Amino acid sequence: MFMKIQNMETVIEIEGLTKRFGQATVLSDIDLRVYASEVVCLIGPSGSGKSTLLRCINFLESYEEGSVKVLGRLMGFEETPGGRRRASERVVRASRLALGMVFQQFNLWPHLTVLDNVTEALRSVKGLPRAEAEDIGRAMLAKVGLSEKVRSHPASLSGGQQQRVAIARALAMAPKIMLFDEPTSALDPELVGGVLEVMRDLAAEGMTMVVVTHEMGFAAEVADRVVFLEAGRLVEQGLAEQIFQSPESPRLKAFLKSWNDRRG
Amino acid sequence: MDLGLIIGSLPALARGAAMTLFVSLTAIALGLVLGMLLSFARMSENRWLSAAARFYISALRGIPILVLLLMVFYLLPAVGLEAPPLVAAIAALTLNTAAFQAEIYRGGFAVIPPGQIEAARVLGLGETRIKTRILIPQVIWLVTPALVNEIIVLLKNSSLVSVIAVTELMRVSQQLVSKTYKPTEVYLAACLLYVLMNLCLSALGSRLRRRIGGASAGGRP
Amino acid sequence: MAGYAPVVLHGLWVTIAICAASTLLGLAAGLAVELTRQHVRSLRVLCRVYVEGLRGAPILILLFLLYYAAPGLGLVLDPETAGVIGLGLYNGAYFAEIFRAGFESIPKGQVEAASSLGLSPLRILTRVKLPQMPALILPPAVNQVIILIKDSAVLSIITVPELTKETSKIINETFAIAEPLLVLALLYWALVEGVSQLGLKSERRLTRYLKRTEEGTRCS
Ligand SMILES: Nc1ncnc2c1ncn2[C@@H]1O[C@H](COP(=O)(O)OP(=O)(O)OP(=O)(O)O)[C@@H](O)[C@H]1O
Ligand SMILES: [Mg+2]
Repeated sequence: MFMKIQNMETVIEIEGLTKRFGQATVLSDIDLRVYASEVVCLIGPSGSGKSTLLRCINFLESYEEGSVKVLGRLMGFEETPGGRRRASERVVRASRLALGMVFQQFNLWPHLTVLDNVTEALRSVKGLPRAEAEDIGRAMLAKVGLSEKVRSHPASLSGGQQQRVAIARALAMAPKIMLFDEPTSALDPELVGGVLEVMRDLAAEGMTMVVVTHEMGFAAEVADRVVFLEAGRLVEQGLAEQIFQSPESPRLKAFLKSWNDRRG
Repeated sequence: MDLGLIIGSLPALARGAAMTLFVSLTAIALGLVLGMLLSFARMSENRWLSAAARFYISALRGIPILVLLLMVFYLLPAVGLEAPPLVAAIAALTLNTAAFQAEIYRGGFAVIPPGQIEAARVLGLGETRIKTRILIPQVIWLVTPALVNEIIVLLKNSSLVSVIAVTELMRVSQQLVSKTYKPTEVYLAACLLYVLMNLCLSALGSRLRRRIGGASAGGRP
Repeated sequence: MAGYAPVVLHGLWVTIAICAASTLLGLAAGLAVELTRQHVRSLRVLCRVYVEGLRGAPILILLFLLYYAAPGLGLVLDPETAGVIGLGLYNGAYFAEIFRAGFESIPKGQVEAASSLGLSPLRILTRVKLPQMPALILPPAVNQVIILIKDSAVLSIITVPELTKETSKIINETFAIAEPLLVLALLYWALVEGVSQLGLKSERRLTRYLKRTEEGTRCS
């Protein structure tokens, strides 16, 4: 795992990121780099800003200060001689193409079949003809182990299957980076394994991944780097074993302790 | 646009609006009693009573007010009941709103935990006492937002009683138009009066809704 | 009496045609108003005035404005046209609110998922939001159509030869009162019941894709 980081190409570069909701500062002065083929897990207590950070990366949320660059491209804004300007909807959309995102609540479109969910963006964003899009769609669904469900509607699938469709939907666009926001938190325990399996395979293939998770086992096993957030601040980051075996900050120690206590 | 005419018509229109309010509120109040009885009949264990109530509610919700109004106005005399227009108007509106109110109350009763009734029975309260003392006061409070909505619907429906010559707002404006030949001004003014009355009512409604927390009860959408 | 059956049937036909046309106009107006409200900030107030204003006015006075007052402004409409426009725009205000609730009931995450895949707002509207609309708005929309059908009796007052008007002509000609009125009431009731049954049936059809056949999710 450590070997992958030899290639130090930066794909996400976050500097001084600050995000507010009205009066409340939800992220303050975050600096974070993600390198190609790296798996970074974001951990932290509820409300610490993990989701918000992830959503700032693909500009589902705007931010007030600092910068988020993906593959060298500033997300959501354009630098002009007169200062920074909000980028147009089109530009934002184009820069999102490097990023795939998987949500806690799957967010599949219930009126479309599984295959249509996966091919929609291929057809309407990339403009592929139907047949070609469906070939890719089938391949992606095969990859997540759902070849038989192509014609089903999402509501007829289990949560774990729905989440795997959501992953296939994101992968179909061939993103360079995948963002996961607690992809297994909405699942019954027995369905978590299948989704983690798919994510593990992705990591092994060298996909760059940023994963918000409460699955410490997964983080310890798959993550190259673990980042601990608390109250909107990046408190500590390091290699997975370092974070879990020898945490430095008292906040992280307390968080890991409460985590272990809860699991008994 | 003849503003002077509008201002000159205001006293007459205001008298019409007062009549509109009188007709509507009387019908709502009578409909409350009849609707409450209907909802009890509908929920009754007696199958015939329940079926009769269901039939009444379904039929009255399916017949246009205008048709109901004509039926009451023309058919009552046919069975020997001479009713002046105002009485016929209030009767028709009451018969209609009672059917809608019955469903509102049924929705209200449905959200009261059955445990409350059992608790009252355990204490030895009679069935009538339970209704008047425990159920009805709570239900009335729960359904006020839906009831305010029903008042708005009824207030608009009351414009139809103009066809049997009750001189409420609509009829007064028709009379003014036939005198002045200025339909635009008069009808616009009357229209604004209706909207004004209803905006006040719906503001009241949303205040109550916030206070009560949006109790879900049936009734008109 | 039976000789008047064709007259009644013609009235029934006119009522159905007018209700269908008004429903279509109302749906179109309602959707247009709601989309405008969502996307054109500067016209928000106007949309609100439309919705609140029309919902606060009795249909009868709106019809009178269209039929008796509009000619003064150079707009002369025949009764049927005035009736369809009046009923349609009046119900458009209600349909706008129904659409609004429909759009609001689509989980935000579905739209975010589409955005994160790069779908354009127009595409999100046509591919993600609108296709779900029929299933989402059906029950309240059917309710509104039922109200519309009953309101359409009011068109008799501006002399549209629909069911109520035709029946009252029979009353005036034959001096029979009870039978025609009873038939009239029954026909409306049947119409309303029919529409509501149709609504229930299509609701089952339209929401079939939402029915789950396997167990497994906790949320969503
Ligand atoms: N749209 C919003 N408007 C206002 N406040 C928000 C919004 N979204 C999030 N917040 C606030 O921002 C803070 C961070 O939220 P965020 O969802 O990023 O936390 P999280 O770390 O993902 O928590 P969890 O583990 O519960 O998902 C919270 O205090 C939350 O209340
Ligand atoms: Mg979160």
